[in-house]
Amino acid sequence: MLAQQLTNGVLLGSTYALFALGFTLMFGVLRVVNLTYGFYFSAGAFVALFLTRNVGWPIWAALPAAAVAVGAIAVVLDWLLLARLRRINAPELSSLMVTLGAVLALYAGMTAWLGPDIRRLPAEVLGGEAMIFGPLRITNAQILVLIATGVMVTALLALMRLTPIGLALRAMAENPDAAGLMGINTGRLAALVSFICGTLAGAGGVLIGLNFNAIQPYMGEAMMLRGFVVIIIGGLGDIRGALIAGVLLGVIEVLTAGYVSSGLKEAVAFAILVVVLWTRPSGLFGRTQIRRA
Amino acid sequence: MPIWLDDFLWTYQNVVYALGVNGLLGLSMYVVLSVGQLSLGQAAFMGLGAYSSALLTLKLHLPFAIVLPASTIAPVLFALAIGTPTLRLSGVYLAIATIGLGEVLRAAYLNIDYVGGALGISGIPERAGVVSIYSLLILALLGFWLIGRSAIGRAMEAIREDEVAAATMGVNVARYRLGALLTSAVLAGLAGALSAHVSSFIGPNEYGFEPAVTILSYALLGGIGSPFAPVIGAWILTLLPEMLRGFADLRLVFNGVIIVLAVLYLPNGILPWTMRRRAA
Amino acid sequence: MNRSHFLAGAAAIIAAAAFPTLAAAQVQIGAIEILSGPAAAYGIAIKAGLDLALDEINQKGVLGGQKIVLTVEDSAGNKDQAINAARKLIGRDKVVLVIGPTLSNEMFAVGPVTNERKIPTVGTSTTAAGITEIGPYIWRTSLPEADVVPVTFKKAQSRGVKTIALMYANDDAFSKSGFDVMKAAAEKLGLKILTIETFGSKDTDFSAQITKIKGLKPDAIGISALVEPVSGVVLQARSLGIPKETLLLGGNGSNSPKLGEIAGAAADGMLVGSPWFIAKPDAMNTGFVTAFTAKYNKAPDQFAAQAYDTMKIVAQTIDRAGAADSEKINAVLGKIDFNGVMGPFKFTAGRDPASSDGVVVLEMRGGKFGIAQ
Repeated sequence: MLAQQLTNGVLLGSTYALFALGFTLMFGVLRVVNLTYGFYFSAGAFVALFLTRNVGWPIWAALPAAAVAVGAIAVVLDWLLLARLRRINAPELSSLMVTLGAVLALYAGMTAWLGPDIRRLPAEVLGGEAMIFGPLRITNAQILVLIATGVMVTALLALMRLTPIGLALRAMAENPDAAGLMGINTGRLAALVSFICGTLAGAGGVLIGLNFNAIQPYMGEAMMLRGFVVIIIGGLGDIRGALIAGVLLGVIEVLTAGYVSSGLKEAVAFAILVVVLWTRPSGLFGRTQIRRA
Repeated sequence: MPIWLDDFLWTYQNVVYALGVNGLLGLSMYVVLSVGQLSLGQAAFMGLGAYSSALLTLKLHLPFAIVLPASTIAPVLFALAIGTPTLRLSGVYLAIATIGLGEVLRAAYLNIDYVGGALGISGIPERAGVVSIYSLLILALLGFWLIGRSAIGRAMEAIREDEVAAATMGVNVARYRLGALLTSAVLAGLAGALSAHVSSFIGPNEYGFEPAVTILSYALLGGIGSPFAPVIGAWILTLLPEMLRGFADLRLVFNGVIIVLAVLYLPNGILPWTMRRRAA
Repeated sequence: MNRSHFLAGAAAIIAAAAFPTLAAAQVQIGAIEILSGPAAAYGIAIKAGLDLALDEINQKGVLGGQKIVLTVEDSAGNKDQAINAARKLIGRDKVVLVIGPTLSNEMFAVGPVTNERKIPTVGTSTTAAGITEIGPYIWRTSLPEADVVPVTFKKAQSRGVKTIALMYANDDAFSKSGFDVMKAAAEKLGLKILTIETFGSKDTDFSAQITKIKGLKPDAIGISALVEPVSGVVLQARSLGIPKETLLLGGNGSNSPKLGEIAGAAADGMLVGSPWFIAKPDAMNTGFVTAFTAKYNKAPDQFAAQAYDTMKIVAQTIDRAGAADSEKINAVLGKIDFNGVMGPFKFTAGRDPASSDGVVVLEMRGGKFGIAQ
């Protein structure tokens, strides 16, 4: 049973990590608390739902298409909501406020348009029967989540570490003004970051929708709180940290529910968060403290 | 009193209460923001005030004149406990730590049967009213206005503008911040007790993440230039959903769009003006 | 802009109050439901049921041809907005009766307000304990879980269930009340409760709880939650290898066509007690299902059926009361004897539904509910 519980924890944790990847990048590089991020997640799931159910695409085509579509939505939303605030150097918190208003409208609009009902991707797209490895049972969707999380983390790390774009992004995360002075087009980079984050969130929405069979306009909202916990424990903007923190959180939650009390599952996540903040405010793996003036 | 006026007042009685209570919550956010702290524990403080006061009324049958001041005890103790370690944190870290504490409390309410679990506490008698709510709001506004004009207000503004410089000038930053957090806890606790005693029911989901963000948005929309701004912000955000009832299922869409437009075009809040010109 | 809206609203109220006779040929009724936000699915289903019934009622009207005008206000699932809606309906729209609100938690806040104004208030979906004790004007047409769950558990026991694990969403009143009833029913029947596991109503992952339950090998698992988490629990129970022999038992929340839609074959064999089910063969029910499907292009659920009946009960009550008068309506409600899609209906002296005879135990087969054998 312990082996299955640990597997459950890693699988749950990788959904947390999947959600947190784009979130931490957006937070770390653009330095905005962008509350529309949860909406990207829901949007990705719904685009994939439309493509598989109404157009009849297979999941391997619908997944990247949904990811790119949401990336585009993210760029547009960033341009509509945040570009102006960046330009006029608005107070830091106004980005939080504007995205709060936007996400309220977006979720409500989506509900009015698509209905509030819970849906699922067609069962045929993946085949639902669990595979049995010795004492463990894992579904296809869970394996897909694991692979996708691995691919996305590797790709993101490669982008950040090995490419000139990554260098520019890291420069911008350190100090946007200096980066601008050094000739980096911060406006265009912001759009790029939005696109990457939107793509990651869109793909995450599809995969998690596939995994939990619960696609609903407000599905992203439910993930937001855990997302905050993961990116804080992992360190803002730290991709590897988000992965480790996500998995760790998943395992701890599952073990708490399995061996202590399921009523404490949620509380333990936040208790850990508070303890981490008290003892290591820049995240468990944080090397540099990103100070917000 | 003519019947139509009586009906009118009765119809909007709860809105009138909510305006006062949310005004107090706006001020409770204002006081921490005015020393440059982004603490989002207000909903948690409010919940502690609401739960402790409801229990005092229902289980110990204490009169409201004792219950109301007593409702500040639990939030203040909680603020003291979290204050010292969390005040080292800044910006979003503090914000998320305080939200985390709110969620831990929510889990506690849900798991403790004595406070009703998910069923919450119902049947709380209506003890508060316009007089108690608005006299507290006016007192708080007056207090902040006087403090704002005094040396304390100048020190608070200095901390907000530049923490390091303020410390260099001899301002005890930590003490001011703890003071602001405790004041915030008192106001939010009172607001919680008042709202519990006008709406007869409280539940564990009313003091979590969403309300925390809503209370922050009172201050962000209004601005923090003067104590009146967050109150105005709270009033606008409280009235909006009621004004928009005619839009039926698109109500929240309009609500959100109005907030977006307000922030985009008034990034410093609806009332950006500060109380006095910055001297020196 | 806000100010002018407010003034316009105020002017409208004053006008309405000054000329009450203008609306005399109509009967004003209000409803408070969740039409926006995350829990909107329930309020929207209820509104659909109310509207369908209203269409039929208004073809000939009540009280000799007067039309019923139903004003549905959104609560967004928020206590304060629900209270504001109730006050607006009573103070401004002058409704003689209120239907709703959707959630038990909302009723605990709204009930005292409507009761104070002596406006009869009929919940169609509020199943928690203690609702009708709020006051003499608070009624409900939804069978409390206490009447439904024991029937399901008895059926399970007759199939040889001796041990049971219970799971419930611990963060909403509906699910918690349902769980309390399940626990009491299991104890009364002498079923051994192996473990009690909780989750949040917005959770999507239940693997930890299910794996723990799997290790205890219960004969049955009782689940009290709304249909969204129940579907997730059922799917994950099957994929984590809970055998088909373990009976899944649901409460009121599981009784929705959504369960089959989401969980599909995984839900096969699940037993759910219900005062109503879609394939009930009598003419009234088939007529309702056909009309509902034609109007909304989707199948009705229990919430829509309860709302449909409630609207008809209200119309009949107004007719029998002989006037659109709250006091008279409240007096007549207790004497009503109605036959609807849910079956025969009466209120107890405690303003709850009188009879649980109509409760049937349903079993999921191939994604659809049928009568359990």
